[in-house]
Amino acid sequence: MNTLALSAGLTGAPEAVLFWILAPLIVLAAIGMILVKKAVHSALLLAYIMISLAIFYIAQDAPFLGVVQIVVYTGAVMMLFLFILMLVGVDSADSLVETIRGQRVVALLAGLSLGALLIGALGRSLLGAGIAGGAVGLDQANSGGNVQGLATLLFSRYVWAFEVVSALLITAALGAMVLGHRERPVPRRTQRQLSEDRFREGSELPGAPLPSPGVFSRHNAVDIPALLPDGSPAPTSVSRVIKARGDVLPTAPFELNKESQGEQK
Amino acid sequence: MIHQSAIVTADLLGKDPGWLIIVKTLLVFVFLVIMVLLSIWGERRVVARMQMRLGPNRVGPFGLLQGLADGIKLALKEDIVPKAADRIVFILAPIISATTCFMAFAVIPMTGQVSLLGRKTAFQLTDLSVGVLYILSIASVGVYGIVLAGWSSGSTYPLLGALRSSAQVISYEVAMGLSLVAVFLYAGSMSTSDIVASQDKWWYVVVLFPSFVIYTISMVGETNRAPFDLAEAEGELVGGFHTEYSSLKFALFFLAEYVNILTVSALATTLFLGGYRALPGLGFTERWLGGWFTFVWFLAKLLAFLFFFIWLRGTLPRLRYDQFMKFGWKVLIPISLVWTLIVSTLRALSLRGAPTAVIVGFTGGVVLILLVVGSLFEAAKRKEQEALSSVITKPSHFAVPQLPMSISTHRVPSAPSRSMEATDE
Amino acid sequence: MNLYIPILAIGAVGFGFAIFSVLAAALTGPKRYNRARLEAYECGIEPTPQAVGGGHIPIKYFLTAMLFIVFDIEIVFLYPWAVSFDHLGLFGLFEMVIFIATVFVAYAYVWRRGGLEWD
Repeated sequence: MNTLALSAGLTGAPEAVLFWILAPLIVLAAIGMILVKKAVHSALLLAYIMISLAIFYIAQDAPFLGVVQIVVYTGAVMMLFLFILMLVGVDSADSLVETIRGQRVVALLAGLSLGALLIGALGRSLLGAGIAGGAVGLDQANSGGNVQGLATLLFSRYVWAFEVVSALLITAALGAMVLGHRERPVPRRTQRQLSEDRFREGSELPGAPLPSPGVFSRHNAVDIPALLPDGSPAPTSVSRVIKARGDVLPTAPFELNKESQGEQK
Repeated sequence: MIHQSAIVTADLLGKDPGWLIIVKTLLVFVFLVIMVLLSIWGERRVVARMQMRLGPNRVGPFGLLQGLADGIKLALKEDIVPKAADRIVFILAPIISATTCFMAFAVIPMTGQVSLLGRKTAFQLTDLSVGVLYILSIASVGVYGIVLAGWSSGSTYPLLGALRSSAQVISYEVAMGLSLVAVFLYAGSMSTSDIVASQDKWWYVVVLFPSFVIYTISMVGETNRAPFDLAEAEGELVGGFHTEYSSLKFALFFLAEYVNILTVSALATTLFLGGYRALPGLGFTERWLGGWFTFVWFLAKLLAFLFFFIWLRGTLPRLRYDQFMKFGWKVLIPISLVWTLIVSTLRALSLRGAPTAVIVGFTGGVVLILLVVGSLFEAAKRKEQEALSSVITKPSHFAVPQLPMSISTHRVPSAPSRSMEATDE
Repeated sequence: MNLYIPILAIGAVGFGFAIFSVLAAALTGPKRYNRARLEAYECGIEPTPQAVGGGHIPIKYFLTAMLFIVFDIEIVFLYPWAVSFDHLGLFGLFEMVIFIATVFVAYAYVWRRGGLEWD
């Protein structure tokens, strides 16, 4: 069936149905990806496109490639993409200014050359059957199993390309380090060191846990300092983050002595 | 021989007529849902026992219907979509989670060859030549549910929880993926049914014990379960990525978490514990009930793993985030890389018919190198600690925590402590 | 092709169940409007208008994701290698040792520079 389809240049009926359902959806998703406003939405549409492509690969009897497409593109690359989006900011608007000069020209050239490459590969597989090193047809390629066939090719004929990938991976890791890593000028104090500091003489912090925020039975939120037995607020009971944000509420209404003083007047 | 049996299973399943596929699909779905309900009940009961409590025992006999009651209760709660949420993605996220978790179970072989409604088949939905990789790929789509849930909630805690959980899942997926290489090496296939078939003599838990340990640890990390449940660390992040979810949308996340636990447990059973195969020496039971008895073995191993998950939760405290990431990246990954190389070399040696002396020599050499490296690490660590302790000035007297009275107010005199000393004398 | 139909079937069942649950939740639950309930959750204080730092996340996660990709691709190559290890012979083993060692260089570099430290 498959060889027949290949030699006639036709696809099987179920595959054709699949194609004509999925392909327009992919195109729609691709257009939507460019048009939607929120960056995360377009990342999602891209993920959808990747998964649909994987389904196409599987339909073409390349299960390994299809599954790898999902693992690598949908799993890894999209996760990276999402992280970058969050790095840029959840609601940040895209600026349309070219940051790299000549970016569009290079992008156009790259796109065109990819297209040429694809057409070349397609032509070779359609017309090149029979030439040495040409397409051999699906059944022969998958004769020992799809994965095994791939492995045999990858680790014999394309071994050089395979080893070069490792160099590419090194570049990726180093690039990430250069771009995203910040060296610490001072080594981080470990939990052990911090606890030793607390116990050391002259330290302001006690060995016991800090008092928790909130006023007993009146107000239990994190933004209000606890009251000490003498009625004064305990500053250490409020997280320093909330202090820095300036969200600390005044304790005056809850302070017993002040309230009672007010009553006396 | 292995490849032949694989072809048999794939062929067998490939010949399933449409109605049988539907029957099996529904059976698997119902099986998973019931297992989830039971494991929620089981978890609460077992953890309760570990904490000297009784646990839920009111709804139905032994409280068995507790999971169902919880589900109904959730359905009757108000369905809230926060104002700041991204509506579409907020609704999409639980759907992604719940769909992918069921899909991953499709390639798990639950019985050998059986007859179902008069047709020869196997209780396994489908058999792919890339079965295990398929599960990994579905899992990596499943992470989207978590990330999107956290992002779309438009709130701080869910975003933090989602980030943590996705960083955690991807970190442990690497260790998990590396631990599987040794299994594929021995089985010569990535298909789940092949791997079960190839364990007819020795289970891989015996042959590849380090792989099993790494897989088991990383599967707990992968499913966001205690002691690795940092994504929903209720002490720090309230509920993690699902803080803003309520009603049945929350239930879907809950369901997905438990189905994922079932899937990774079933995968562990398949890869390392011989799947549906009987315990060694009890091979004759595999023919009982027309082959259906193998399902009992599968279920027993699955339940053992579930109990293990619950046991972990009842016993271990949660890790700190940096410790957790350090453990994944600096311990699990290098160990599994080195282990992969060792296993493949051993395999190559034994395939080439190398004399036993060479294999023993190689193993001895590896052990020696590991010992040397380990002792070097130890020495470096000790040196570091000595350097640390020399820096720290020793307190003049025994360090006693200050009394909390004098934390922040300098008004409280420190006299009482002196009087206490006096009474001690 | 028949082997992929069950995957579609179970996916459809799971999807149907999820959709049903989401729709049912809207019908079965009560609807009582409360302004405070629709706010983002925060422990009793005024909710922060935006998520942490304007929705920004630490760059640390980028590094982790990148390393994950590196290892993921390595794993993708390891799998077919492992499956047909018996046919590839010693040459295959050496190839993979070189590959793993090269990737390990990147890993060791990141480790040494402190890229794996979390605080």
